[in-house]
Amino acid sequence: MDLRFTEADHEFRAKARAWLTANVPTEKRPAHGKTAEQFDRDWQRKQYEHGWAGVAWPKEFGGLGLTGLQQVIWYEELARAGAPHYINTTYIAMMHAGPTVIARGTDEQKAFHLPKILSGEALWCQGFSEPNAGSDLAALKTRAHIDGDHLVVNGAKMWTTDAQHADYQELLLRTDPNSQRHKGLTWVIADMHAPGIDIKPIRTMLNDEHVNMVFYDDVRIPLANVVGEVGGGWSTALATLSFERGLGFIGDQLELYERVNRAIELAGRTRFEDGSLAIEDSGIAQKLASLKADTIAIRSMTLADIAETDRTGMPGPKGSMMKLMVTGTHKALSEVVGEILGWGFLEFDGDRTNSPWTYDYLWSWIFSIAGGTSEIQRENIADRVLELPRAR
Amino acid sequence: MYLAPEDDEVEIANAAAGFLAEAMPITRLHEHGSADMNADLRKLFGEMGWFALALAEDRGGSGLSTVEHVLFFREAGRQCAPVDLLAQCLAVNTAADEGLRQSLISGESSVALLVADGGGYRQLGAANADYGVLVTQGGASLYALAGVAAEVRPALDPANSMLQITSLPDALETVDDPRIWQLGQLGTAAMLVGVAEAALDMIVEYAKVRETFGRKIGSYQAVRHPCADMALRAEAARSQLWYAATALKEGRSDALVHLDAAKHMANQAGHGNSDANIQLHGGIGVTDEHNAHLLLKHAMLLSRLFGSKRTLLNRLLDARLED
Repeated sequence: MDLRFTEADHEFRAKARAWLTANVPTEKRPAHGKTAEQFDRDWQRKQYEHGWAGVAWPKEFGGLGLTGLQQVIWYEELARAGAPHYINTTYIAMMHAGPTVIARGTDEQKAFHLPKILSGEALWCQGFSEPNAGSDLAALKTRAHIDGDHLVVNGAKMWTTDAQHADYQELLLRTDPNSQRHKGLTWVIADMHAPGIDIKPIRTMLNDEHVNMVFYDDVRIPLANVVGEVGGGWSTALATLSFERGLGFIGDQLELYERVNRAIELAGRTRFEDGSLAIEDSGIAQKLASLKADTIAIRSMTLADIAETDRTGMPGPKGSMMKLMVTGTHKALSEVVGEILGWGFLEFDGDRTNSPWTYDYLWSWIFSIAGGTSEIQRENIADRVLELPRAR
Repeated sequence: MYLAPEDDEVEIANAAAGFLAEAMPITRLHEHGSADMNADLRKLFGEMGWFALALAEDRGGSGLSTVEHVLFFREAGRQCAPVDLLAQCLAVNTAADEGLRQSLISGESSVALLVADGGGYRQLGAANADYGVLVTQGGASLYALAGVAAEVRPALDPANSMLQITSLPDALETVDDPRIWQLGQLGTAAMLVGVAEAALDMIVEYAKVRETFGRKIGSYQAVRHPCADMALRAEAARSQLWYAATALKEGRSDALVHLDAAKHMANQAGHGNSDANIQLHGGIGVTDEHNAHLLLKHAMLLSRLFGSKRTLLNRLLDARLED
């Protein structure tokens, strides 16, 4: 065991810190809408033009080809420089679609899409979940039949984050009408501007409209847009999800520790009705200290997992443990801050920058449901780590 | 950067696991009079050099690091090894006198752990122990226990006797060395990780064979999900233990913050997992003949040593990691 970064790691950190310090946007990211989208595209383009886009992507496809540990350094430096949060409208393109096209796409798909993603020219959204296929993704029903050299799509997708901003969509379809479950599916690139696509926002409890339903009415998609095999979509989708389970939330994992420190500072200057400081309440102080220990352990788990993955080249099954731990800690922290802030916690206008703690509290349910609910994560651990008997 | 046992570390961990499972299996605790180290065991451990793993070679030790120290004590925890095993190790690292140190390394002499309690002390380990070691964050003192009045108290944990001492004589030796406490805190954290892992293994094995309502209980989500939570607690505590041990080995400036976090996570995992293990076993889990209660009772003892919840959290509240 050792905790040493290599000389190359240190050099990378110094270079990244210098560039980020000089180049992170100084203005605040708008909370919603077209201006937020443009902000994300501009920041992505700037990273691209200076050679900092695609930290996780291989060099031959325009990325930086960093090791997992160097990506940790990158996210630590992003946080230190106060850079815009990396989960923004570029997230699906950078973290899902790009890596999937790299792993399973054709040369033409790579040549066309990868530069557009890296430069912020193309934003993507996900099209996996449906009204009756969320945790049970293989129950999906949105169908497509082949008509000449096109797929013709009909159905509906749900929970599509940022569909209104996206240029393309990673769309998982049932292309064999007689197929069941994981068979007969196809992963295809949809042009979000194609005729027959209709986007309806879903207003969430956060008072925002980030997620949508997307309806497909005879939408024609060239067969050339299939990534992987027609009928082999499940395999491609698993590849997509493995990128998210690997390093998809690494920034949140590392940032939680700083959020606990911010909460402790907040408790040190917030007074209750009786005039006492929140931090003087032993119950609150204990919870905050316990959460700090949790976040320190999360960082150690992250480093252990990434160092292991760097060595084996394969993400292990520990991603489910990580998500369970991170989402649980995130929620517990929001709850303590709710105690600290008293009535102020109930002031909320839907803007993350105005009411960050209340926003985070409401977000905690999105976090523990999206990308595999906590219940599904526990099932994954029971199946893949503990190898308990299955009921399903 | 690598945070799991590798190369020689794996060999030491495997050797420790094999040795402890044979010399000191948890099942021994079902037999009367099995508490504490006995003379034969102590000499066997001494011959193998287990007490002096982390002691410098020029002082008669193996010259290994805090990493090997935790690898050994994690395996000790899995078997609910008595804490006088750790006391012996700490005394070996305390003793300046050559002859005394040799007799401790070889297991000729025995050591109990002393813990301040109110105005007096608790003694954990055999009533006839030759020496007692009392450790503070700044250092440690060795006492000769012959002739010291000690009252035997009924011990909840069958792994160790518990005695109460009103007053101690002058210390034989006192050393100012924070490393002794660190080895103690790491050792108890490691034993608690071992307890947490043993509890998880115990219920997972049972859940694969025990049937109710015509199904294996491991197929019920009411069992699977708490098992997943146990796996998470063990994983978090183990990762933090590896980090803390390595940070101490490398002399990193925030190593003590990591150590406090490691002990806290281990307290939570040791207690949480041994609790859930009993509950998920159902009725058999509360029987005396089962091992489940042994893990819980040992976790309760270990979680009070070298940093209990309250003291650790007090320190962690204001602590900060370095870059």
